[in-house]
Amino acid sequence: MARMTKKSTTRALAAVGVVTAGALALAGCSGGGGDTGDGDTLKLWHYEGEDSAMAKAWDEAIKVFEEETGATVEFEQKSFEQIQKTASQVLDSDAAPDLMEFNKGNATAGFLASTGLIADISDAVDEYGWADKLAPSLQTTAKYSEDGVMGGDTWYGIPNYGEFVGVYYNKDAFAEAGLEIPTTYDEFVDVLDAFVDQGITPLAEAGAEYPLGQLWYQLALSQADRQFVNDYQLYENPVDWQGPEVTYATDTLKEYVDKGYIASDVSSVKAEDAGVSFINGSAPIFVSGSWWYGRFVEQAGFDWTLQSFPDSTLSLGSSGNLWVVPENAANKELAYEFIDITMRPEIQAIIGNNGGVPVAADPADITDPKSQELIATFNGVLENDGLSFYPDWPAAGFYDVIVRELQGLVTGSQDAATTNANLGAEYEEGTADFR
Amino acid sequence: MSVITRAERGARTKLPPEEPSIPQRKGGTAGYWLYLLPGFVLLLVIVVIPLVFNVYLTFTKWRGVGAPDFIGLENWFTIFTDEDFWTSFTNSVWMVLAMVVIPTTVGLMVAALLFDVVGRKFGGKVGSFLRATYYLPQILPIAVAGIVIGWMFRPGETGSVNQMLAVFGIPAYDWLGQMPSALLVLMGVLVWVQIGYPVVVFMAALQRVDPELYEAAELDGANWYQRFTAITLSIIRPEVFVVTLTCTIAALKVFGPVYIITQGGPAGATLVPAYYAYSEFFTKRNIGYGATIATVLTVLVVVVSIIFIRVQNSAERKERAGL
Repeated sequence: MARMTKKSTTRALAAVGVVTAGALALAGCSGGGGDTGDGDTLKLWHYEGEDSAMAKAWDEAIKVFEEETGATVEFEQKSFEQIQKTASQVLDSDAAPDLMEFNKGNATAGFLASTGLIADISDAVDEYGWADKLAPSLQTTAKYSEDGVMGGDTWYGIPNYGEFVGVYYNKDAFAEAGLEIPTTYDEFVDVLDAFVDQGITPLAEAGAEYPLGQLWYQLALSQADRQFVNDYQLYENPVDWQGPEVTYATDTLKEYVDKGYIASDVSSVKAEDAGVSFINGSAPIFVSGSWWYGRFVEQAGFDWTLQSFPDSTLSLGSSGNLWVVPENAANKELAYEFIDITMRPEIQAIIGNNGGVPVAADPADITDPKSQELIATFNGVLENDGLSFYPDWPAAGFYDVIVRELQGLVTGSQDAATTNANLGAEYEEGTADFR
Repeated sequence: MSVITRAERGARTKLPPEEPSIPQRKGGTAGYWLYLLPGFVLLLVIVVIPLVFNVYLTFTKWRGVGAPDFIGLENWFTIFTDEDFWTSFTNSVWMVLAMVVIPTTVGLMVAALLFDVVGRKFGGKVGSFLRATYYLPQILPIAVAGIVIGWMFRPGETGSVNQMLAVFGIPAYDWLGQMPSALLVLMGVLVWVQIGYPVVVFMAALQRVDPELYEAAELDGANWYQRFTAITLSIIRPEVFVVTLTCTIAALKVFGPVYIITQGGPAGATLVPAYYAYSEFFTKRNIGYGATIATVLTVLVVVVSIIFIRVQNSAERKERAGL
């Protein structure tokens, strides 16, 4: 090998330097574009499905926004999982959007609020008057305390729609079986028994995802009062995990499986499969959320109805997902203007006429009879101050815990008392920082 | 203590003469280090710094944003009493069975059969075609394979496996919702995915075998099993080490199939360390504890690798010594 001259050594060093700098740049690249607000572009992220009522409404809102402000909307379609899992990293960088849809609750929007990643928008709420358009129970999930506990006094998000969990009944299947839609819990159980007697598993359920956990919480709510919800969700008092509400829920859920109201192989079923089993008529009853409503309107080839859970003033539900403005957003003013457009009656009516539950629509604008029925049922829940949020909200990761523990219950690998104890231990651990 | 010189050691163990080394330029090897520098920098940035940071995080409580809180050894104390952690590592043993023991054993037999029997009787093209079919699952993205497997093993009458069993009058079963079937299905998928890898590596290794060795053994009256153990196994031993090592590391780190097919369920029965660490990191935002699980996993992988490499080196030394 030829001996290196001083010049060639210098060149080699320079080459190494360039390669090293390139490597460091590659390794350290965060994808941040170093955006600065130009006042002309609104970077917007949401994760609503293309055909959903919300996506249709927001497509229209984008058009109106661009016409009225002259600014361009740079929209990126995200998945729920994508935003859920990576939001804190993205929002901590200069790649943050100006406006983003985000899941509500302590472990999600509350977490971002407590860490300062999303902006306090209280001034904008006052300026635009959004508080006047939102019922008090809808405001709970939009306002957080310093610790990220919902129901606080600082606004961190704005919801455009509501949602709740009720009971879908296949009216045709009921008629065929000679049964009436139940109005009380006793009648509900009679109907379940009657279907089982006819060889039909009445409840569509999914133990691998949220539906089973939601039924469990709904059963607890049927025995609870508002204080139980405040204790469970807002940590006002310790939750008694061997108390009457939780014990009833866990015992009854196990009973539902034992009596054949729910299929014995429910533990590996996903939410989609449960919904499809209702759509294809194989299960006549489905306890789930209003987010299915639009799909059932389009796909269920039979007459059906959605009612709140019988004999229960409390229902799972809340505002829908929130618009949040990242603290690092470059164009906050544009973000506020966009939110304001989504609250207009004409945009809200699009949600209402496509199977969604608008929060600020003019009732006269809702022309679709099926949508009118949904909104009337939702308003009934609101009038009872019945929105009681979701069981996994109190602690980060509690969703997985509920799925896992209820799988243990329905597969018979653990009894109800152990299930309650395990749930309680995880709840205590996950909420220790907030209580 | 007596000192054994290099020449004496060489004479004792009958080492072959050393290969001629690359001539060193006058002035030492300093110039070469310049060319290694980019690699070292990448190693530092991509491996060493994150690893050190990960170990640091094991002594903290952190939600991923803001400054971590230093909590000393709390995460390390917790891990020893955490049932889920031990379940996940127990399941790793099953993963090793599914990704190492079964595929390597079966792969060895299949490769030897394809090379020694199929290749000789039906020609190389048939052997190559069969090899490709074994390798096919390795090409398939695990996300796609996992979703298809999930459909096949759906509960009730909607899953194709239950539909096939129904033909024989066997009632529907909840394969992914019960134990031990969920673990067995997962293991079956891993065996199916994994088996092509050893087959391809072993068949490539068998190209090194002189066909005359087999012929000579046959003339001496050796049957297929005797030829397999005396010739095949002996010659491809280095590849067996490599396959076993890489597959063991993959088995300890397995994540994708669990994430797609069972998500650790039912009731945590198919939890593995990588998925557990992931759920602590991203679902619970319990970063410090997730880092602790990841660190234990890393240590385990490193220890296993060292053991394998030492055993391999020892075996090679013995072989070169003619022992």
